[in-house]
Amino acid sequence: MTYARRSLRLYLANRSYVTLIPGGILVIMLAMSLVIGVAIGMATEFPLSAQIQEGMRENNGGAVYSIPGFLISLGALAVNRNFAMALAFGSTRRHFWLGTLMGFALTSGATAASAVVLLALEKATNHWFFGVYAFDVAALGKGDYVLTFASVFVLAVLSLALGALFGTAYRAFGTKGALLTGLAAAVLVVAVTLLSASNKETVGSWLGALGVWAAVVVAAIAAAISIAGSYAANRLARL
Amino acid sequence: MTSHPPAGTPSGIVLEHVTKRFGRTEVLTDISAVLPPGRIYGLLGANGVGKTTLMSLVCNHTFRSGGTVLIDGEDPAENPVVLGRTCFIREDQPYNDAFKVRDVLSAVSWFYPDWDAALAERLADRFHLPHRTTCKKLSRGQRSALAIVISLASRAAYTFLDEPYLGLDPSARGIFYDELLLAYSEHPRTIVMSTHLIDEAAGLLEEVLVLHEGRIVLRADADEARTSAFVARGLDSAVTALVGHREVLSERRLGSILSVTVRGARTADDESRARAANIALEAASLQELVAAIGIGGIGGVDTESFTTQRTSR
Repeated sequence: MTYARRSLRLYLANRSYVTLIPGGILVIMLAMSLVIGVAIGMATEFPLSAQIQEGMRENNGGAVYSIPGFLISLGALAVNRNFAMALAFGSTRRHFWLGTLMGFALTSGATAASAVVLLALEKATNHWFFGVYAFDVAALGKGDYVLTFASVFVLAVLSLALGALFGTAYRAFGTKGALLTGLAAAVLVVAVTLLSASNKETVGSWLGALGVWAAVVVAAIAAAISIAGSYAANRLARL
Repeated sequence: MTSHPPAGTPSGIVLEHVTKRFGRTEVLTDISAVLPPGRIYGLLGANGVGKTTLMSLVCNHTFRSGGTVLIDGEDPAENPVVLGRTCFIREDQPYNDAFKVRDVLSAVSWFYPDWDAALAERLADRFHLPHRTTCKKLSRGQRSALAIVISLASRAAYTFLDEPYLGLDPSARGIFYDELLLAYSEHPRTIVMSTHLIDEAAGLLEEVLVLHEGRIVLRADADEARTSAFVARGLDSAVTALVGHREVLSERRLGSILSVTVRGARTADDESRARAANIALEAASLQELVAAIGIGGIGGVDTESFTTQRTSR
């Protein structure tokens, strides 16, 4: 673990970048939701009507959509920026990958914790005083703290792992390799979607059995595949 | 077969029939050499002969196409203990773009238990490295200085220096020269250094390996290598007469002046004939020797006769 911890420290060297910014993005998303809420309120009434509040609660997926962009790029940059340094300083690929993965877990934990804190604030302020729903939403489990933490954590891990997969594929196979990896990922998603569509009942019953955890489990499986892929590519990455 | 020393004991670097291909291009061909520990090796040769690639293979930064690499009796590939004893900052070493010099020096200290922070500080000051500048904004010379600071302060048992002089001004090169010898004498280690500035580095090197067209064509003690050829410079006809049938490794003409690098040691007879004919005789420098190999190529130079320690067994 000593060897992996060195790469973890490398990942955490720019601490605010990997721990605070993801939470900051959620705050920005909240600010945007508040602006939209104010605009709606000015056109209608304050606090927002029950119907509008319910609509926001069901449809505001900002917390989900705002996270992946930054974290995918963070994952790709992490495996590229630090890889050459770690190897130069005598690290193995395996320990670099492990240390970076530990860093991803910390970033994801910090992001999920931010979401939970913001959810608690949202509830404590009676939805920001005039009925805006940003975290107490259907996409995150309608105010369930555990589900909110798990959803954001898994989504963050998936985003970082996807970024790491593309970044490592680039290191291992060059630009064409990264493009092919993207293509393979797209084909996999389409294939799974088509298979699910043609077996609607079976897949529906599986997801039904998982209940509110279905999205979290699906994202976790995708994250596991991305992590396995980045590990395999990492063993072939070179300078 | 070579009998390998027990794993873990400091036994240097062993290369056996190491080959590297990029696609259809063979960059390194059947490289075999034993580098005992605790010496300073010069890895010399023209651009593109595979010096950096060879060091990359040893440190497992890139993968060999064939052959065996051992450090202290163990394969370094994904071997944390062995790789932990290496430090290899490439000439074009990428750093995290967001890192400042001080961040890099801080980060590297996490990787080396014997990191000499005081030495790093002193070297950074001597090279006037700007601690608060991001690595991507460093000049060529500052990047070389940073690589030198990291390499020497790491106290890695196997330190690889890739063109450490690049972009350094003469005074900085002098600092490097002094500090390398000081660091080496205080904490002996194995240093492998590739360089183009051969004559300037010659005083540092204990042994040289010259690469040409992907092969080690010369392996010699640095002092012995310098006496294995000489240069004669004078009027064309006089020099030609002096050299006679001896093998000329390279020759340059400027009007009627001819300068030739001749294989072998010069004799007392050569000295007296040269004095009489106004010919300047001097030992070939390492630079001239390597240049001669580069010009003559394997076909033009019988490099076997220069090899004082055979590299292939």
